[in-house]
Amino acid sequence: MAETTFIPFEKVKTVRDTPLEEMYTSGHRTCQGCESAMVMRHFSKAAGPRTIATGSTGCMYVANTSYMTTPWIIPWMHTQLGAGGSSAVGTSAALRALMRKGKIAEEKINVIAFCGDLGGGDMGLSGISAALQTDYDLLIILYDNESAANTDIQATGMTTYGAQTTFTPPGTKHRIMQHRWKKNVAPMLAVGHPTCRYVATASATYPPLDFHNKVRKALSIGGPTFIHTFDPCPKGWDYHPQYSREIGELGIKSGIFPLYEIIDGTVSYSYDARKRARTPVREYLVKQGRFAHIIDEDIDYIQSMVDSMWNEWEIPGVAPFKGGLEPAKN
Amino acid sequence: MIKRVEINYRGIFQKTLAKRIGGDIVIIASRMGKVGFSNGRYSDSPERNGIPCKYFAFVSPDLEEEELEAECGAKLDIDEADVSVVVDDTMVKGVEPWGWHGVRPINEKVVEKGCLLVVSRKRHDELTRFTARTPYSYRLATIDGDASLAGLWVFKDDLTHERVLGAIAAVDPAIIAIDAVEAYLLAKTKQEHRARAAREAYDAVLRQTSVVTPEQGIAWPHETPELPPWHAFEEGAVVRAPARHFEMGPGGQSRNASFKRGTTKTLRPVIRFDLCISCTLCWLDCPDECFDPVEGRLYDVSYAYCVGCGKCADVCPIPECIVMVDELQFDSDASPWEHYRSDPDGYTRWAEEKKGTARYAYPHVTGTGFEIRERESVAPKDLG
Repeated sequence: MAETTFIPFEKVKTVRDTPLEEMYTSGHRTCQGCESAMVMRHFSKAAGPRTIATGSTGCMYVANTSYMTTPWIIPWMHTQLGAGGSSAVGTSAALRALMRKGKIAEEKINVIAFCGDLGGGDMGLSGISAALQTDYDLLIILYDNESAANTDIQATGMTTYGAQTTFTPPGTKHRIMQHRWKKNVAPMLAVGHPTCRYVATASATYPPLDFHNKVRKALSIGGPTFIHTFDPCPKGWDYHPQYSREIGELGIKSGIFPLYEIIDGTVSYSYDARKRARTPVREYLVKQGRFAHIIDEDIDYIQSMVDSMWNEWEIPGVAPFKGGLEPAKN
Repeated sequence: MIKRVEINYRGIFQKTLAKRIGGDIVIIASRMGKVGFSNGRYSDSPERNGIPCKYFAFVSPDLEEEELEAECGAKLDIDEADVSVVVDDTMVKGVEPWGWHGVRPINEKVVEKGCLLVVSRKRHDELTRFTARTPYSYRLATIDGDASLAGLWVFKDDLTHERVLGAIAAVDPAIIAIDAVEAYLLAKTKQEHRARAAREAYDAVLRQTSVVTPEQGIAWPHETPELPPWHAFEEGAVVRAPARHFEMGPGGQSRNASFKRGTTKTLRPVIRFDLCISCTLCWLDCPDECFDPVEGRLYDVSYAYCVGCGKCADVCPIPECIVMVDELQFDSDASPWEHYRSDPDGYTRWAEEKKGTARYAYPHVTGTGFEIRERESVAPKDLG
C-alpha cells in the first residue's frame, strides 16, 4: 500500500488555536442555523486575510452580497453559476502574471472558489474539471446543501434519494419523485484528474476543526485542489435551525456522507464508518421534514444502499466498483 | 374602492400560512361577488428562515380585475394597509426585511382607523411599547395564541389560518364577512371545527380590540438606508467591505454595519456567565459570528446581529447556561457581558428573572409541534 504523502502544514489542534478574527463577518442574509455560512466562516478563517474568494451564483452569493452590503472582509467576487472553476483559474493566472511582471509583490495569495451543488456538481462540473488539470494554486469548495436552495429548493444531481423538493413533490400516485442516487462528485474528480494532489470531503462542524484543517492542508499542498462539504440546510431539509450541527453529525455517523481525504491517490478516512459503529440512517432521516412522506420500505432501501457503499464497494464509501479485478471473459 | 391587507410573517417558517391566508381572502371575497388578488412582496424571495416577509391581499367591490391589478400588482411594497396582520408578535419590535429597507416599524403601513392584527398572548400595552408612534389613531387587535412556526414541507395545522380569517372579518367586514368565511371553510374542508375556530376568533377579536392613540408607542430609533441612485455606483458595482478590525472585547470584531438582521429572531440567547466553563462551542458553532471573545475566557454576544437560531443553546454542554428567551422581554441590545462585569450578582438575578421557568422546546421537524416545558431542575445555588 502506498504511503500517505506528508503535507507540511500547520495543523490547528484545539479550538483555542484557531484565529479569533473573522474574515466573513456578521450581517449576512443566510437562514437561521445556516451550515453553508459555517463553511464560509471557517474556510476564510483558515485561509486568512491574504485570500481572494470567488463565488458562483447560489445561496452563498445571493444571501451574502445582495443590495449593496457585504459581510466579506476578504476580497470576494461574484461569478456565474457554472464558472467556479474558470474564475479560480483566471484569478490565479492573473496573480501569477502580475507577480512575474513585478506589478505586485511576490507573496502567497490564496485563491478559493466556492460553488453550490448545482453550480459545482451539475452545471459547473466541466469548468472544475478543467481547473483541476492546470498547474495553478487554487482551491475549489463545493458547498452541498443537496438542492438549489437559493431559489426555494429544487432537486439537483446531489439531492438525496427520496427527498422532497419543489421539483420532486410526493403525490398520491408516486410517493418518491427523487429517484436519483446522490452524484459521487469528489471521487469522480479524484479519479479523473490523477495530477490533482488533494481531494477531500468535509462537514463544517463535525468533527470539530476537521474542515478547518482540510482547508489549510489543501492550500499548503499547492496546485489545484478540491473539497466537497456536507451542509445541512434548515430551510430545504425542513428541521428546526437549532439542530443544524446534530443533523450534520448524524449524516456523517450514519455513513450516508463519507468523510475522507484523497492525497496523491491515497484514501484516508476522517470518520471511518467501517470501523466505528454506523448509526441507522433512520435516525438521520426522521429528523427532517423533507423525508416526512417516506415509509419503512424506503428507509430500508436507503439503508441497503448505504450498507452497500461501506460493505461492497472496492474502496468503501468512495469508489463504487465491486468484486475486484476480473480477467476478460470474452 | 380597494381594501388592502398585508400579512407580516417569518420567512419559510410561516410561508405556507401567509400564502394560505392571502389566497383564501381572495377566494372568500370572490364568493361574495368582489374582485381580489394576492401576491408576495417581490424582494422577499428567495426567503430565508426567520427573516420578516410580507404577503398581500387586495379586495375591491367595484373595480374590474385588470384595474385592480394595475393599481396594486408588481410593486415592491404597498403604501398603506387597512389591516396589517402579524403572525408572530416578536415582529412588533421592528422588521428588517431581506431587501434593503432598514428596520421598519410593524405599523408603518396601517392607515388611520386601520387595524394592526397580531397573533399574541401579550397584553396590548406590552406590544405598543415597541411600536412606532403615529400622528393618528389606529386599532390594535390580538388573536390569542403562539406564533405558528412550521417548515417548508411540513405545515403546522393548528387552526391559526382559520382564526386569522375570522379575525380579519371582525376588524374589517368590508374585506370579508364572517358568514362567508364560515361558508367557505365548510364547503372546502367539510370540517365544522375549522368554521368554528374562525367564528370563535371573530367573537374574541370583537372583544379584544383597542384604539392606539398618537401618544402611545415610541419615537422610531432606526434610520432608513439611503439607496444609491444608478449613477452613484462604483465601477464594477463594487461594494465596500467592512474594514478589517479585531480586538478582544464587546464589538471588537468589525461587522456589516448596513445590514444587521437582528429582527429575524423570535428568541434570544440569555447567558449565565457564572456557569460558563469556557468550552468555546457557542463561539465556534455560531453561523452568524455573533460571539465576541472577552477577557476571562468568556464570550459576549452581539444581540443586534444575533438571529436567534438557538444553535448556541443546543451545543452548550452546561444546563441553564445558555437559554433561549422570548425576544419581547428585552428593550436593549446592549452587551450582556458588560452588564455582568459591572454587577455580577445583579446580572445573574436579572438573567434568571428574564429566563423564568418556562423553556421553549421545538421538535426536529418544526411543523410537528412546539411545547413550553418547565425548566429541568438545576440546584438553586447554581442558579444564583
